[in-house]
Amino acid sequence: MAEVEIREVRKSFGRLEVLHGVSIGIQDGEFVILVGPSGCGKSTLLRMVAGLEDITRGEIRIGTRVVNDMPPKERDIAMVFQNYALYPHMTVAENMAFSMRLRRARQAEIDTRVKRAAEILGLSALLDRHPRELSGGQRQRVAMGRAIVRDPQVFLFDEPLSNLDAKLRVAMRAEIKELHQRLGTTTIYVTHDQVEAMTMADRIVVMRDGVVEQMGAPLELYDQPDNIFVAGFIGSPAMNLLAGQVEADGFRTEGGLKLPIERVPAGWIGRRALYGVRPEHIELRDDGVPVEVLVVEPTGSETLIMVRNGAAQLGCLFRSRILPQPGETIRIAPNPALVHLFDAETERRLVH
Amino acid sequence: MNDIAVYEADLATKRVRRRWSAWEVWGVALLVPYVLVFLLFVIYPVAYGFWLARDPQAYVALFEDPIFVRAVFNTLVFILVGVNLKMMIALLLSGFFVHERLWIRWLSVLFILPWAVPSIPTILSLRFMLNPEWGLVNQLIFRLTAEDGPNWLNDPSLGLTFAILVHIWKSLPFWTLVLVSGRLAISRDLYEAAAVDGAGRIQQFRFITWPSMSTLYITCLLLSMIWTLGDFNSVYLLTGGGPADLTHVLATLGIRYLRLDAVNLSMATIVSAMPIVLPLVYFMMKRLSR
Repeated sequence: MAEVEIREVRKSFGRLEVLHGVSIGIQDGEFVILVGPSGCGKSTLLRMVAGLEDITRGEIRIGTRVVNDMPPKERDIAMVFQNYALYPHMTVAENMAFSMRLRRARQAEIDTRVKRAAEILGLSALLDRHPRELSGGQRQRVAMGRAIVRDPQVFLFDEPLSNLDAKLRVAMRAEIKELHQRLGTTTIYVTHDQVEAMTMADRIVVMRDGVVEQMGAPLELYDQPDNIFVAGFIGSPAMNLLAGQVEADGFRTEGGLKLPIERVPAGWIGRRALYGVRPEHIELRDDGVPVEVLVVEPTGSETLIMVRNGAAQLGCLFRSRILPQPGETIRIAPNPALVHLFDAETERRLVH
Repeated sequence: MNDIAVYEADLATKRVRRRWSAWEVWGVALLVPYVLVFLLFVIYPVAYGFWLARDPQAYVALFEDPIFVRAVFNTLVFILVGVNLKMMIALLLSGFFVHERLWIRWLSVLFILPWAVPSIPTILSLRFMLNPEWGLVNQLIFRLTAEDGPNWLNDPSLGLTFAILVHIWKSLPFWTLVLVSGRLAISRDLYEAAAVDGAGRIQQFRFITWPSMSTLYITCLLLSMIWTLGDFNSVYLLTGGGPADLTHVLATLGIRYLRLDAVNLSMATIVSAMPIVLPLVYFMMKRLSR
């Protein structure tokens, strides 16, 4: 186990710079998830930690060693690939033993480690099978087994669940988290799925266009997004963002809707801003603003209702089972304590 | 005659008519030309060849001819040494041409040329270059060292070596390309996973490339051996079987007998190549049908 230090790292492909100076400090044993839309550079960054891509500028340390010029095999890392990358001509046991075999470990030690990893992952019955004879979930487990057997300083995961169906993904999510709690190995995990990030990470790094937008614990990002990108990216369904201006007694949207805020930020009266409220922080209140129901999506445990007032559309998530008809008018009110305000120009959060 | 009988008779004629449905008529119509061509251009010549080679005395004469024994030996050298060497070089080169660089792309276009150019002018020009007196190679050697170069094609082992080299030079691009496509089918992830697992270049080849390519490689090897048995040009155009008929292979020997008006010996030569061809074809078909 080791800490990982990524300092001012830049990456260019030819003239195109895709990472513009990324710095992330990862503590020993921490589970860090890099999340962002495709093309944000998260996979590239992970591959730079693995040694599969050169580091154009900056420095990456694993433990006490600067690994910039080190080939992957000397970095003492294990990686799980999106397509699992299992060796098709080897059995499950051979796949898992491969790295140790290359290191000329003793057969007895290889056997013990493979056996242990297989037990942890429930693969004991499949050790003699070939990858083509396994289901997607089993392959995924073998890929993790291959990483576990190595007992590396750092685990690297590159979108490991994106090829699985939704149900299996949820199950594997819990398994990976449990595995991390059990082994305590420093882990860097890349995904584009914010739910995965929220549920598994100790700390999330939100990336966009080659820069880090925000870093923090999952609930920290949820409660205090630094900017509208993080606000919209973290949380599902996504946060509602309405343009308008701050007034002395609340917020007035461009459509003329009057919405409550807890405290007017100093010096912001009359200035243009964005009003952010999560669907789950909107309540049904008789003294709320009237809105027209567009679509109702009941899921059983909760109900998502899309509503409209003028040009402004809002998603509202209610824990109660209410089923208004489309076209009906309901009255809603955001919880002012949980409202976020953003500068309309810089798109950054206003402290209030 | 009651109604049922009439109905059954009706049904019977219908059944007869249904035996030649439109699809079946088309099927037969499309099949007939192929069968005719096959009979005319494959079955008939092969059968005729066997008929010409039917005289047992021809084989006695053939096996007593030292040129034939030498040709069999040369053929085996050609196939076992030449083709294996060629395929190994192709395997090696395919590892180079698989890289995605613009200059490698252009280089591969140049590399294809020997395969694309016609045999007769290119091999003849090589023959002229290797002429001991006025060939380009020995002229150059003389100019640089003031000594006469070797008598390239007048030495039987050098002659055969050059025939093999010409064969390799001519068909290497094709097999390299086939093996490149085989390499391209291997996912890059596997190499990355292996690199992370600690495999160096040679281990990556041994554990990733070779297991994925071995089937293709062996199939190519067998196919190339079969084709090479019929390679007339490399030997005939370069050495003409000389000197003293010592560089013949079975393919050129057959033609030699033909020019000596010994049709039966010529055919017997081809037939005596069968013990080499048939096992190769058998293994080949067995692999392909798997």
